[in-house]
Amino acid sequence: MSAIDDLMQEFGRLPGIGKKTARRLTYYLLKQPPGDVRQLAGAVERVADEVEACSNCGNLSDEDPCGYCRDDRRDPSVVCVVEEASDIAAIEKSGHYDGLYHVLGGRLSPLDGVGPDDLNVAGLAERLRDEVEEMIIATNPSVEGEATATYLQKLVDQIDEEIQITRLARGLPVGGDLEYADGVTIAEAFSGRREM
Amino acid sequence: MTASRIRSAGTAQATAKAHIGRLSLHNFRNFQRAECEFPPAGVAIIGPNGAGKTNLLEAIYYLEIFRSFRQARDRELVRFGQRVFRVEAEIRGEAAGVESLAAAYDRGGRKKVEVDGEEVERFSDAIGTLGAVVFSLDDVEIIRGSPGGRRRFLNILLSLVEPGYVDALQRYRNFLSQRNEALKGEADPAMIDAWTEGLVEKGARVMEARHRWIRGQADAFARYGEEISGEGPGRMRYDPSVDWPEGMTPGREEAGPGQPDESGADGSAETSDSVADGDGTGRWRSREERRERAERWAERFRRALSENAERERRREVTVVGPHRDDIEFRARVADDEQRDLRKYGSGGQQRTAALALRLVEADTLAGRLGRDPIYLLDDVFAELDRDRSRRVLHLLDEGRSGQVILAAPKAADIELRGGLERWTIRDGRIEPDADGTA
Repeated sequence: MSAIDDLMQEFGRLPGIGKKTARRLTYYLLKQPPGDVRQLAGAVERVADEVEACSNCGNLSDEDPCGYCRDDRRDPSVVCVVEEASDIAAIEKSGHYDGLYHVLGGRLSPLDGVGPDDLNVAGLAERLRDEVEEMIIATNPSVEGEATATYLQKLVDQIDEEIQITRLARGLPVGGDLEYADGVTIAEAFSGRREM
Repeated sequence: MTASRIRSAGTAQATAKAHIGRLSLHNFRNFQRAECEFPPAGVAIIGPNGAGKTNLLEAIYYLEIFRSFRQARDRELVRFGQRVFRVEAEIRGEAAGVESLAAAYDRGGRKKVEVDGEEVERFSDAIGTLGAVVFSLDDVEIIRGSPGGRRRFLNILLSLVEPGYVDALQRYRNFLSQRNEALKGEADPAMIDAWTEGLVEKGARVMEARHRWIRGQADAFARYGEEISGEGPGRMRYDPSVDWPEGMTPGREEAGPGQPDESGADGSAETSDSVADGDGTGRWRSREERRERAERWAERFRRALSENAERERRREVTVVGPHRDDIEFRARVADDEQRDLRKYGSGGQQRTAALALRLVEADTLAGRLGRDPIYLLDDVFAELDRDRSRRVLHLLDEGRSGQVILAAPKAADIELRGGLERWTIRDGRIEPDADGTA
């Protein structure tokens, strides 16, 4: 297989990229100065070589423990449990949370053959034996995310029933129009309404 | 039809007459391209078997639930050798709410629904907009067939009238299939439990809605059955797979404050709000009560699951829950004797029950819509004797004003809405007035 075909095939394996886009990306790179292309290749290589799951929280990082776990300005008594490392980025962007994280690496789904052993659950149980006082469950509001939350809640209750367990609220997106929200979201927002 | 008549605010009038005006079909079943303009009162469509009568009604009702009422897959609805079908209707009259509805499906699997020319993101936001009910000869299968058919009936109807039902049911099914998978092989109890709470919460919501509807319509159902058959009343009641919560009973004994409104039995749409709400005591109060009742069903469901834990592990499947619900239909055969119509009813009794069920469905829809639904009648009089036909006609006419689209193999004396226009249908072609008007 030619080098060009090779690269196109590799691009085509990425999520959201079809044959056409793969071809476009390939020919785009062919027009760039070789130095720029090598820089890209180098970045890809470094990700492969240097990024690992943090042995403490499961976050993807080139340091171990990761930056969040090492940051002593963060509150170690609160742990926020997320499905994927990419969820951390979304939460961090809000700038609203200064506790620690725990990345499960997925969610329970018997239909996909994913059980507790396939997730970073044992690591979580281990961490909770330390100084954690609150666990915030930030799994997605999907059926699988809910079940994973239930599972974790029962597990943590067994480990230490003093640990406070909370779940992220659901409801209307900020900046969104009530008029355009779907019925389910509005219903959730109503049942989760707060006193002012 | 006076289009300029001022719409009454607040109360929906029984005279409101939303109806289908123009309908166009493209590559739907045996229709290559068909267009017709329905009269506001309706039409009787006469044609031989295989001409496309049921297909036409199926196309119209597709705009109500965006699926086939005959349980055909979407791709079976595409005309042979074609890729895409499209159904489009203009809705006219008062209290219609919208001006046009359209649905299209591509064999590739893409389905599109448009309300007033704009594509909707979620079909569940658009279902029930048309406001229609189908009476079909196959309805008798709801009564005598498997419990699955009766659950399907409830699911479709409640999806149309009960806010949040579709979502609760969908999520219930997802929890259920994940939980069943977790039960397979050497199951980890904690892994099964993870799915239990969601299953119970969504399942209780489904059970509460089903129970509330059946309980609220049981009297009307009995009355309709009596009127159609001239015999003693039939009974309809919820038949859950878990024990009844304390204080809730299957029958009428439950009457008291908070008892659902039984209006609608007289066929009027005037008391629409209370019918839709299933509770004559007012919306805000009943919401509280609904939640409380759902909680009681949840408690029973949870208990049933734990009592059946052993059986579940053995059979590797969730053995209780609304996926095992049923509706019980009974007829009184003697003062102290009742007969289960599902198994032991005569053909006539079962057909009567099916008609009564569709009539209470129409009342429920009227309550939700604030107007009478459109009646799609597929050869319903074929297997009824003369007396029953006459009484059904009377029930469909008295106090009901919804457009009637009736299909029959041969012209008979069908006196509805003061005499329907008569059309013929043959080989997927609809010909208005071909036979002259009735």
